[in-house]
Amino acid sequence: MKSLAMAVLICASAIAADKETPPPGGPAKPFKLPPTQDFTLPNGMSVTLVPYGEVPLVALRAYVSAGTVHEPAGQVWISKLTGQLIKEGTASRSASEVAREAADMGGRVEVSSETEFTKVGGVVLSEFGPKFARLLADVLRNPLLPTPEIPRLKADLARDLAVDTARPQTQANERFLQTLLPDQPYSRLYPSAAALEGYTLEQVQAFYKANFGARRTHLYVAGKLDAGLRPAIEAAFRDWPGGSDTSVPPAKPVSMRSLQLIDRPGAEQSTVFLGLAVPDATKADFVALLVLNALLGGSFTSRITSNIREQKGYTYSPGSHVATRHHFAVWMEMADVTTAVTGASLKEIFYEIDRLRGEAPGAVELKGIQSYLAGLFILQNTISPDAIIAQLQFVDSQELPRTYLSDYVPKVMAVTPPDIQRVAEQYLAPGKMTIVVVGDKAKVDEQVRAYEK
Amino acid sequence: MHRLLPLAAFLIGANSLPAASVSFTVPVTYYKLPNGLRVILSRDTTAPTVVTAVYYRIGFRIEPKDRTGFAHLFEHMMFQGSPNLGKMEFSRLVHENGGILNGSTRFDFTNYYEVLPSNKLETTLWAEADRMKGLAVNEENLKNQQGVVGNEVKVNVLNQPYGGFPWLWMPQYANRNWFNAHNFYGDLHDIESAKLGEVQAFFKTYYAPNNAALALVGDFDLEQARAMVAKYFGPIPAAKVPPIPDLNEPPQTKEIHASRKDALANRPALAFAYHMPARNSTEYFAMGLIDQMLAQGDDSLLYEELVKKRGYTGSISGGINYPLGDMFDYSGPMLWTVSLIHDANRKPEEILSGVDSVIESLTANPVEQKLLDRNVTKLRGYLYDSMTQFAGFGRANLLACFALFDDDPVRINGLEESFRKITPAIIQRTAKEYLNPANRTVLTIEPGAVKGEK
Repeated sequence: MKSLAMAVLICASAIAADKETPPPGGPAKPFKLPPTQDFTLPNGMSVTLVPYGEVPLVALRAYVSAGTVHEPAGQVWISKLTGQLIKEGTASRSASEVAREAADMGGRVEVSSETEFTKVGGVVLSEFGPKFARLLADVLRNPLLPTPEIPRLKADLARDLAVDTARPQTQANERFLQTLLPDQPYSRLYPSAAALEGYTLEQVQAFYKANFGARRTHLYVAGKLDAGLRPAIEAAFRDWPGGSDTSVPPAKPVSMRSLQLIDRPGAEQSTVFLGLAVPDATKADFVALLVLNALLGGSFTSRITSNIREQKGYTYSPGSHVATRHHFAVWMEMADVTTAVTGASLKEIFYEIDRLRGEAPGAVELKGIQSYLAGLFILQNTISPDAIIAQLQFVDSQELPRTYLSDYVPKVMAVTPPDIQRVAEQYLAPGKMTIVVVGDKAKVDEQVRAYEK
Repeated sequence: MHRLLPLAAFLIGANSLPAASVSFTVPVTYYKLPNGLRVILSRDTTAPTVVTAVYYRIGFRIEPKDRTGFAHLFEHMMFQGSPNLGKMEFSRLVHENGGILNGSTRFDFTNYYEVLPSNKLETTLWAEADRMKGLAVNEENLKNQQGVVGNEVKVNVLNQPYGGFPWLWMPQYANRNWFNAHNFYGDLHDIESAKLGEVQAFFKTYYAPNNAALALVGDFDLEQARAMVAKYFGPIPAAKVPPIPDLNEPPQTKEIHASRKDALANRPALAFAYHMPARNSTEYFAMGLIDQMLAQGDDSLLYEELVKKRGYTGSISGGINYPLGDMFDYSGPMLWTVSLIHDANRKPEEILSGVDSVIESLTANPVEQKLLDRNVTKLRGYLYDSMTQFAGFGRANLLACFALFDDDPVRINGLEESFRKITPAIIQRTAKEYLNPANRTVLTIEPGAVKGEK
């Protein structure tokens, strides 16, 4: 069967005589990554400042190595409870005072507890940057962790747990990671309601003590920077105790074909997750994998999306991506497909994977994807202060040199069609993929059984 | 991509406060082509990128009555082919020139936009002009996108707990005029019934330069941009666009209560909505501040009362035109909506009594100036933030809307002043007039299957 991509190319050249050709545009303006100012405080805390943009706003984000992967066994979401509790006031400020002070600066203190980090920060009017740095320091360093708020916060987390786990994508993601990384911190996503109910102040205090400290924190600041910002940061954080060093448990993936079906009776769609562990960001083939991903399923014009969305209409928002953790990466394709075509969708997804493994892509198709990634790189490093922070934080958290960013586009452009085929062949073995389907078992069981092995 | 849902304000108190120490003025060049196209150019040289945004003044509000969801389905068709670009070629052109693209359908407009390296401005102008010229689509394209859009409704509404809550459902209960009160995502049957002839007719009716605005934000040369816009959009003929139908809502006279069962949800939920004052009135700007005061951030009064003090919920969400946009990007009747998910041991009456106690704090006495000042500052932060979002797309959104709805994109620089004029007395008056139960709709979600459903 001819792919849509090929059909379009053939069609375009055949009728080129009759149609206007798009104007190519002028020469590209040079793009330079925003310069950064990096320094480490005597207590070991890392700070990165990125002056950027004209709009009078500044984003401050402290990444603390205190994520779900750092939770003791049996205490899933203790990091979330801690994250909620540090917003509930400091030794010198009530919770309401913290909230109002941030609001008076045009922002808010946002705390999010993620897999590898607790992020604490916000965006404020640039004139208040130094003041906001002091407020964040107080929240991070001197949280009250007040006992009376714990029952309410646990009830909120229990409600979040119930609501989150009712979503088919959440269910698929949890099972996917449990299968790929069995009995490991990376796949312990949700506690039981009963376990959550039992969490104590002592456990929160212990988690805070073990994981919050200067040596486990990197503060990123991007936007219009006030001159007083650096001295304010130094003064506010300088004497925060260093605490322990960062450590992240290594991921130990399973590399074996399996099919998991989670029943969702009456579901109009099946939620499909499939994928496997691939070389991580520190490996030589990582950038080639990113190019492969954009070509195969990670962009709107990619092969899988062209096939199951634009050709067949099976789904609205299919997409593949390379999910990265510390020195670990997973390639995965996700799609919510109409129930009746669940098996047909799997067939097409594997067809496209196999096709790329069997045949190098055309040079024109690859060049288009490379140019897309090169343009996207400019956006990723300029689109907003938070986007700039995310790029730098990714590089730093992978312990890569910052030259990773300046080398990225040349590396993308150097990938050849045979490279793509080789990387697909080497790393996207369907025989090693984990497949999870959340759908109406009565209707999809037979459709998907063939993909068990 | 091509989504219904978006990705995707100021200063003070009569004479009591000094002007902001930092402010920001958006450069705006505004003119119309002879064919009526409204063009807004706003330079920003922060990065070598450019946002191209084309806004058509056709939103889902005024789609054909027997074709719910048609405006949005049509938006998808605009990616299926134009005179010089076949199916997928538009997206491919943008991608291979290093850019990203999307479109969305809202109450009062449909937009199409790209962000590319700035040297590709001419390429994207040519491509957007090409699809303003004509739609080259066939039955197969329509059938394909009917499948895609049907799947979009399934993934966002039908297979999700709280799928249409409150954004899709609330307007259907709170409004009486069909244009404001129908299912704008579309009944699957209506989506599947659309005909190719209807698609072409819709294009001919609404997709004309005199019914559109083009906003460019980014690192370009003003004179070059003007010349390129004239070259590619100038030759497109104007069309006779039908007048916008009467969108007015009859005044609401008593509180409306509605309840839905949600088989996929496992906790009850509650939302309430009030009809907004007329756009751009003094009370409208006051409501912008009331929204900040009551519902935005963990310093807000509803958060204090419902989350922290009463512990009914962990978070509240809401706003004006929430979550499809904000108080600036619509033109017609609108709701201010707030929603929350709570536990089964809380009754809606308890939650509403908490809400009413907060509202009473606004109606009983003028609010403190300090509270008002804080919320003007928050609104200022919000406005700056939305202008920087997505490489300046947020700025293009405001400029295009103000051009389409007000013929005045320069008003982007007057917003702060409009909020600055709001006094505690105006807040009190506005709260009394608009935040009363007779102007309110309450929608509750009960977990569990609908009777007769399995």
